[in-house]
Amino acid sequence: MSPPRLSHSAALILKAISLGYCFGFDVMEITGLPSGTVYPALRRLERDELVESRWESEDDAFSNQRPARRYYQLTREGKAAALAATERYPLLARLLPEKHS
Amino acid sequence: MSTRPSALPLFHRAVLRTVQHVVPLMEREEFLRSWKAELWHMHNCVPRRRLSALRLHIDLPLGVVSDAFWLRTHSLRRSLSGTPSLCLGFLLGLSLLSFAFAVLSYGGWRGLSIHLGTQAEHCLVAVPIVLFVSSAIASFSHVELSSIPHTLRWINHLLFAALKTSLALVLTFLLSVCLSRPLYIPLPHAADLLQILFFVLFALLAVRWSFYDQEQRCKHCLCSLTTPARVGRPSHNLLEWTGTEQTCKEGHGRLSVPEMETSWHQYSRWIDQTASFDHVASA
Repeated sequence: MSPPRLSHSAALILKAISLGYCFGFDVMEITGLPSGTVYPALRRLERDELVESRWESEDDAFSNQRPARRYYQLTREGKAAALAATERYPLLARLLPEKHS
Repeated sequence: MSTRPSALPLFHRAVLRTVQHVVPLMEREEFLRSWKAELWHMHNCVPRRRLSALRLHIDLPLGVVSDAFWLRTHSLRRSLSGTPSLCLGFLLGLSLLSFAFAVLSYGGWRGLSIHLGTQAEHCLVAVPIVLFVSSAIASFSHVELSSIPHTLRWINHLLFAALKTSLALVLTFLLSVCLSRPLYIPLPHAADLLQILFFVLFALLAVRWSFYDQEQRCKHCLCSLTTPARVGRPSHNLLEWTGTEQTCKEGHGRLSVPEMETSWHQYSRWIDQTASFDHVASA
């Protein structure tokens, strides 16, 4: 099956997640997209099974004295879609730097 | 020693408290949890110089609102998609739109009503002919039911079919009126003839669609059947089962449609999803 055609902002978000920006604000900050675009787009990508989310364990969060975060990561289809999107929008690779943890 | 994370500022708490009512009840808890975590992170982990007041007080609340509305519309779409009410509502909406367009193109209700009277009479004569021809040429696939349908269910089935076909006919009539409008002043007789021709053509298509759509619906809840899946191999047409199966999204049953009316089934077969099947499936 061919990877789905994504809008430029969806491709940008997917690319950001593939580079290790794994929660909402992180993605918002690196892409420069407004929150009204990023959060619904993340939900759409999750609905289309291009990304999946998992909650950080409560214990880890509690020991860091913060609420548990929701982390996003690409699925296998998402990785294929991110690759296809990078070919379609070559500037994506230059727009977003890799995350240094 | 670890302590509880600090609370969010009053403004963001108020936004979340207000907007949460937009989110469907089932998803509300997760929505609040996600947003509390995101907002907490922004307030406590991001340096102030990177977080402008505009982003904090306008952009983020807008994000909360649009996320909540996305969840609401997604839930509505999921619950309404394929339902008989959506089908009837859509046809009704299109009919109203066509009616408004017809009123505008005839310069008001007065102009349209004079024209509609005679045209409606002609089209009413054409309706039984269209229905007869559509029924005669339709390739109804006979559906065997695995259980005797409930009388009330049959009444619902017929009522829905009648309403859908009537609305489709009204829509085709209004469309034919709109399409023949440009010829109405220079060539009134030709416009009348063209309008009837358009009506008959569109009505034939609409009635055929209506019959087809009725076959593709669940025999219990009348929702459109989904997830068509190929069964068997085409080369086994004369040997064993091959065809397509569609299921009701509510889990009422499935429709097995043979590729050819041959050895597998002679006719399409509706199989109810009984409690015993659920037990086997879950085992």
